[in-house]
Amino acid sequence: MPKITIDGKELEFKEGQTVIEVASENGIYIPHFCWHPELSISGNCRMCLTEIEKIPKLAIACSTYATDGMVVKTQSESVVKAREAVMEFILINHPLDCPICDEAGECKLQDYAFRYSRGESRMLEEKQHKPKRVPLGPRVMYDAERCIMCSRCIRFADEVAKNPQLTFIQRGDRTFVSVFPDEEFDDPYSMNTVDICPVGALTSRDFRFKSRVWEMSNTPSVCIGCSRGCNVNVWVRDNVIQRLTPRENPDVNKYWMCDFGRTKTFKFVNAETRVDGPFIKENNELVKSNWEEALNLTAKRLKKFKPDETAFVASAFATVEDNHSFALLAKLLNAKYYSYFSYVIPGSGDDILITEDKAPNALGAELVKFKANGVSNDLDEIFEKIKLGEIKAVYILEQAHDFDSYMLDALAKAEFVAVHATNFNRLTEFADVVFPASSFAEKHGSFLNVDGILQRIKPAVATVELDRALDGLAQSRWDKFGTKFDRWAQGKKYDAEPSWKIISALAAKLGKPFNFSTSEEVLIDLTSKNSAFRNLDYNEIGGTGIKIIERKFSEEEKI
Amino acid sequence: MEKIILPDIPDLNKLDVYIANGGFQAAKKALQMEPSEVIDIVKKSSLRGRGGAGFFTGLKWSFMPKVKTKPHYLCVNGDESEPGSFKDRQIFEKNPHQLIEGIIIAAHAIQAQTVYIYIRGEYYRWIQMLQAALDENYERGHLGEKMKQTFNTDFYCDVYIHRGAGAYICGEESALMNSIEGKRGYPRVKPPFPAQNGLWGNPTTINNVETITNVPKIIANGWEWFASIGAPKHPGTLLFGVSGHVNKPGVYELPTGTLLTDIIYNYAGGVPGNKKIKCVIPGGSSMPPLRGDQLEGIKMDADSLREAGSAIGTGGIMVMDEDTNLLDVLVRISHFYHHESCGQCTPCREGTGWMEKILRRIQSGQGTSKDLDLLVDVASNIEGRTVCALGDAAAWPVKFMITRFRDEFEKYVKKEVVIPVKNKIHSMKYTTYSVENIKLPESTKP
Repeated sequence: MPKITIDGKELEFKEGQTVIEVASENGIYIPHFCWHPELSISGNCRMCLTEIEKIPKLAIACSTYATDGMVVKTQSESVVKAREAVMEFILINHPLDCPICDEAGECKLQDYAFRYSRGESRMLEEKQHKPKRVPLGPRVMYDAERCIMCSRCIRFADEVAKNPQLTFIQRGDRTFVSVFPDEEFDDPYSMNTVDICPVGALTSRDFRFKSRVWEMSNTPSVCIGCSRGCNVNVWVRDNVIQRLTPRENPDVNKYWMCDFGRTKTFKFVNAETRVDGPFIKENNELVKSNWEEALNLTAKRLKKFKPDETAFVASAFATVEDNHSFALLAKLLNAKYYSYFSYVIPGSGDDILITEDKAPNALGAELVKFKANGVSNDLDEIFEKIKLGEIKAVYILEQAHDFDSYMLDALAKAEFVAVHATNFNRLTEFADVVFPASSFAEKHGSFLNVDGILQRIKPAVATVELDRALDGLAQSRWDKFGTKFDRWAQGKKYDAEPSWKIISALAAKLGKPFNFSTSEEVLIDLTSKNSAFRNLDYNEIGGTGIKIIERKFSEEEKI
Repeated sequence: MEKIILPDIPDLNKLDVYIANGGFQAAKKALQMEPSEVIDIVKKSSLRGRGGAGFFTGLKWSFMPKVKTKPHYLCVNGDESEPGSFKDRQIFEKNPHQLIEGIIIAAHAIQAQTVYIYIRGEYYRWIQMLQAALDENYERGHLGEKMKQTFNTDFYCDVYIHRGAGAYICGEESALMNSIEGKRGYPRVKPPFPAQNGLWGNPTTINNVETITNVPKIIANGWEWFASIGAPKHPGTLLFGVSGHVNKPGVYELPTGTLLTDIIYNYAGGVPGNKKIKCVIPGGSSMPPLRGDQLEGIKMDADSLREAGSAIGTGGIMVMDEDTNLLDVLVRISHFYHHESCGQCTPCREGTGWMEKILRRIQSGQGTSKDLDLLVDVASNIEGRTVCALGDAAAWPVKFMITRFRDEFEKYVKKEVVIPVKNKIHSMKYTTYSVENIKLPESTKP
């Protein structure tokens, strides 16, 4: 293999790799603005200038291909001086907006100003003025004065979103990014430009001025917008989710996520409709109850029905663990009917990230489906039987979208309906018992994505049962160093529990406890019964998931 | 001496006159040769590019792939955007057919069947003249598919004129290609070089108009003849566009290696009023200026000028007499490069504007000698760190004008100045400039 020497280290590389790629693979950081591993090379920021032997001028590491025997210096005096000069050039016309800029705290330019800049300005003249607060599209706001013309957003729209809506207009230091006349930047992936913008030029209209980044805690998780399961970070302040940002995962979403996932999949967590504590129906109205009463009532009612009068509807929105314990409960009651609701919208996917299945865990729900002899798994058949009065008790796990009205009509005929829900919706109106389910942001668990990759979610929002400090949730600076009188310590905590926990408690009330104390124990129980899950635990799934299915699962792999 | 590009033949721009004077004989000869033979002759002639960089033309052609797998393109650069150069215009006007003949030979040498002549849009009249010449040659069968019969060959090529839209940067070869492709005039990051990845990703060669116009005579008279003219390492003649404080400004075709003083005093008629020369920019506005008291013995060819601390550039000689205010000159030049910087890469985009702002401040009487040092430093920070050569073009005039005429620039700056800063966010109302001798005004608190 050919070898290159960077800062005295001899490194092997593959033919066709650039210097900056070899360096970053080997942990040598070369500062850069315009270079991005997933985008084409534009070589315009000049920040990655390095000294290469046999090349008379300084060369940019992002467009210089590594050759055998090349000797690169990234820390020599001339390189340091060149970087200082580039930083000075970028900063002379960059407004000192940091105190009011959303990017502050996660700004490449700000970080580099500390690391690579000389720390004072020699510019006495007035800065260049350009348009500020330009709405480029419905979700992205642009500030041309902050912009350093790295062209990452333009290249992203062109190359990744395959929708070249952005361009530079004007020339020289009057240049700025714009959309074409009478158009707006409304691509379904537009907000990724906010992430890759190395400065605060592009900001999210959804998140603008909500929070400083260091005031939020950030928790690795998975987006629930569709079955792709894009890896995300959940950013929380005052115990409220402020935003989601994509988390790098080369096998799933690379560096991206769609705007729908980013803006529409977390707001239900703190919506007014949130179920806070168990509810029981009294005189045709749901009344707040307590856990003991709700569990006792459900256990008592469920026992009354025969197995062929009981139907279980699992959920593609609930985790693998929730679905597994749900299946165990169905088995415990020997229920004859078990299915789950599918959210596939044909034609709604694209060839980038968005899939047609709008739930995060359909594959997981399918894989852990309860299937004993004589059990029907057909959802339409189940609802037909509910309508005919043959099925009298229905137990429904978390459903994020409303049911079709024919299903709701059928449910009105059932004698007993128990529902796990995060939010009140039309379905909960038909419930006799509503258990408050923890949302994806309030529990541990795992989702199986469309490609068969099992990925973990972690709690980011504290609930009554889940304490931020004691249960090891991510903490922001304020969480760590604030006092209990601080605003951010007083965010609303909902009285909700993960479904597996509610089901375990119910099983105990039914006299046959599962003995699960953590969701990992549910998964370990599953791995011992289902060969598809091998001997997995949370440690093995890790931060970026693990591929467990290479093929369509077979019948034997189900319980 | 014999003139290669602009011979003194009346009505040479008429096709019949051109043919009567031996026109298209070289093309006939070249089209019977193998492309590699043509390249070889041009290589041996040591013809160098007339667009500024002075690269060897034959060598450039030889970079094109020998085996043609994709279309090849020839771009002829007539953007002529460098201030102080106006030579290509003369060719369009006086000798367009020799250019066209050169294009045929060059296209054959690199096996390009499509040729674009990129001309600045402001040259509207000259575009019309050249288009008329092209049309005439199409009619006579010198271009297009009819070439096959006319020259008895398998090769033919089509020539199109592409009008520039007014950007200096589109004279840079890769920005020129982007412009032809209909894209923003941004220079490309090299490598890949045009010979591998040029127009629409295909092998492309870009030559200056004057360079191409030399080619027919080299083929007709042989490389030995051409190599014997002028300076040995940079042979041939050059079109020197002399402007500024001379009695007879204009374009003079002279052999390379002619003395600069000879051009100014003998051909251009000397300085009006017999004034002394303060400064000469020898190759278009981006080249380092020379001091008027150090002109003796400077020869006008690439190597001699490099030794003298400048460069041949496009051969646009700008003469400034002793009464010229060099600060005003430099402000004008910096304004040009600030206005024309494409804005792609950081040092040039930000640096050109900054330099102009500093110079304008000095012009308004608000500069100190620290500012001169700052200007030189800023220019040095731009130089050599940009995507294309415009960074150097913008930096050199500032850097060399100030270092070579420091004594004069010291006259334009003051010992102490009070600088009101308009950008109040940027600092307090008045900045404390980190020079001891600057005083804050008493009326305001910092």
